Amino acid sequence: MKNRLLKAIARERIERLFEFARTYAQSDPEAAREAVSIARRIAQRARLRIPKPYKLLFCRKCGNLFLGSSSFSVRVRDRMTTHVVVKCLRCGWIRRYPAQKEKHIKSTAQKL
Amino acid sequence: MQLHTEIIAKNIIRHELLGLNVDVEWKNGKQQKFSGVVVGESRNMLTVQLSKGKRLFPKAACVFSFKLPNGLCVKVDGVLLIGRPEDRLKKVVRKW
Repeated sequence: MKNRLLKAIARERIERLFEFARTYAQSDPEAAREAVSIARRIAQRARLRIPKPYKLLFCRKCGNLFLGSSSFSVRVRDRMTTHVVVKCLRCGWIRRYPAQKEKHIKSTAQKL
Repeated sequence: MQLHTEIIAKNIIRHELLGLNVDVEWKNGKQQKFSGVVVGESRNMLTVQLSKGKRLFPKAACVFSFKLPNGLCVKVDGVLLIGRPEDRLKKVVRKW
């Protein structure tokens, strides 16, 4: 019961912190980055996962919020495998997400 | 039993303060009051965005009255808020 309450409060706090960061991202980016770092520390302490919509929203290295085209870049690359590259334009951190080709998805759907 | 996860007077010590409207009073008898929005927090200090700019207030030396999203106003002694934001999550107040 106690643990459930703690986790519920932590979840609410994380949500509120990301909403705060979103509103202050343009006017006060430093406060927004600080809010993101607090949210991450709360998630660690309460042993929670950060919800996916928020997880994709910030840079894991510097905490910069990915809002607007000036803060990050997205490219689709087709080299060894097809993947999406997200780059933080503040610190240069790169994250690659695997992506499947449409053809491949169709063929697997037919098999199923 | 219903869990109160949204910020209320009972759980404000364990909850998030960033983004709340606040009025700050000094404990040592200074007359001037400040009002603004909380934009930062550390173990001993609270950063408040005033109309002039940002200002740091020590938690131990001030009394804060927070305006909650449900419209209520809660007056909290700053000593109770001492602690890092992630540590306050597990903070227990014995006397209420």
